[in-house]
Amino acid sequence: MQSQRLAFLFVTVLVVTGIASSQGGKTPPSQTLDATSLPVPAEALLKDSRIWDQVPAHKVSLNRTPPLYDTDEPASLEIPVLDARVARTGDRVLVQMSWVDATQDSAVLAELPKTPPETRFLKLPTEANDRFFDAAAVMFPEKRGAIAPSLQMGDPEDPVQIYYWSAARGPMVMQAAGRGTTHRSGATFTVRSAYEKGRWTVVFELPELPAGTPLAFAVWNGSQKDRDGRKYFSVWQILK
Amino acid sequence: MPKQKYAMVMDLNKCLGCQTCTIACKKLWTDRDGTGYMYWNNVETRPGMGYPRQWDRIGGGWRDGQLQPSPLPTMSDYGHAWEFDYEQRLYEGKRKPVMPSPAPQSGVNWDEDVGGMNGEENYFFYLPRICNHCTYPACLEACPRKAIYKREENGIVVIDQDRCQGYRYCVKACPYKKIYYNEVTGKSEKCIFCYPRLEKGEVNACAAQCPGRLRFVGLLDDPESPVHKLVLVHRAALPLFPEKGTQPNVFYVPPFNPPKRGKGDKSILEDPRLPLDYLIYLFGSDVREVIARLESELKKAQAGGRSELLQLLIGRDAEARYRIKPELVQITI
Repeated sequence: MQSQRLAFLFVTVLVVTGIASSQGGKTPPSQTLDATSLPVPAEALLKDSRIWDQVPAHKVSLNRTPPLYDTDEPASLEIPVLDARVARTGDRVLVQMSWVDATQDSAVLAELPKTPPETRFLKLPTEANDRFFDAAAVMFPEKRGAIAPSLQMGDPEDPVQIYYWSAARGPMVMQAAGRGTTHRSGATFTVRSAYEKGRWTVVFELPELPAGTPLAFAVWNGSQKDRDGRKYFSVWQILK
Repeated sequence: MPKQKYAMVMDLNKCLGCQTCTIACKKLWTDRDGTGYMYWNNVETRPGMGYPRQWDRIGGGWRDGQLQPSPLPTMSDYGHAWEFDYEQRLYEGKRKPVMPSPAPQSGVNWDEDVGGMNGEENYFFYLPRICNHCTYPACLEACPRKAIYKREENGIVVIDQDRCQGYRYCVKACPYKKIYYNEVTGKSEKCIFCYPRLEKGEVNACAAQCPGRLRFVGLLDDPESPVHKLVLVHRAALPLFPEKGTQPNVFYVPPFNPPKRGKGDKSILEDPRLPLDYLIYLFGSDVREVIARLESELKKAQAGGRSELLQLLIGRDAEARYRIKPELVQITI
């Protein structure tokens, strides 16, 4: 397993350096994302998808992480392209991610009853313990003004925040300072998702991010058991 | 490598299949949302499908130092956790009988007492199972979150619920399929060898409640512990599927039922009631030697001699069956 991990790191280095040249161990940005300022409240962008027609879409190339372990089933060779739109409204940044996914892997998990389980006859059941769900995330450096940290979940000196949305578990803000350090911060954020005609469209409400902030995207396809580093990812995109 | 490790020995000759251990464990640890289908301790009929179905054949574990692939068992493989409409029946005046839901189509120990055929005769026995708290846990190696660890002070394998993200690589990697995913919490869970009980000097709930008194608990390297004596001195207990490469710390005294014809002219191995091939499948080829050893002890006792091994296996009281050192299981944070 150690050798697999080393192989993973080696392949990842090849992939990342193939996309962009190395710069002191950091991944330099390769693309820019123009943000469109809109004179509408953020709520409008979350509720009304038509407003997004005013925002130009950026085609963001996604890459597939190399197989992490020999015991993983191979993933589909078809790699989706991400349509990313960025809007500024007031002091907030909203990002719309849209991508093709032929299978909708979502679930509505029941809300936990307030009474403790030991006092109830009926416990909330687990229905599909072998299922994984579609998900998407936007990652950016925790420190404003930081240059792009490692794409592998940041660095110890340059931690990242990840706004993660799962089609089953909803939104959660995560933090990381390097590969294997990702954890839930306990915070949440506002998100709006829709699956229509084989395409996911998810709007993330992010905090204020100054121009020059690098953003990276990730997409998971539940039906091919994507979770963890088993995903599609973009390199850093610079917010304009 | 832990300094000391707790181990359990289960004498399959004494298991009644009553599931008291299963219920003791269930009431104590898995009576929560999302744990309905989970049995950290289960008792299955052998030969049989097992729980989850075909767990022994689908993969996981080690071969040549590499983790082996395995599918994730489905809910139907585990058996749905039926909920019964007690509330309607008891409080809301519904007159119909209490009914399970969903409609039963599979279940844990679904093939109870079916067993197999040895020639023209049916045979079966019960196999109680918990996490094996392996010396080389495949689950620990598979976890990319490093959420699973083997406790330094006692060898108990646990999942850090804060670190676990529910990726289920551990579920796939465990060749015994003794890790369960809780969809409500989004995290995986497993037997914790009742370490909070051991910490207070109490033995594991499954062992404490066992009416058959078939479980022995102690430190494997403690010369005074019954598990040390059974496994290392008398060499009367074997791990399940040793070829999976994880080195379990749960051991079984194999069934050594009397010879089929009972005339006394043939040994157990010459005229086995249970097909030896099946026992070799479960416990490896050493089972032959262990059964011969147990039979010779039995003969010694039948001839009026004293067998220390058989006396030990009787397990008259808790003192004989368990040797717990609570000072070893202090929680270190």
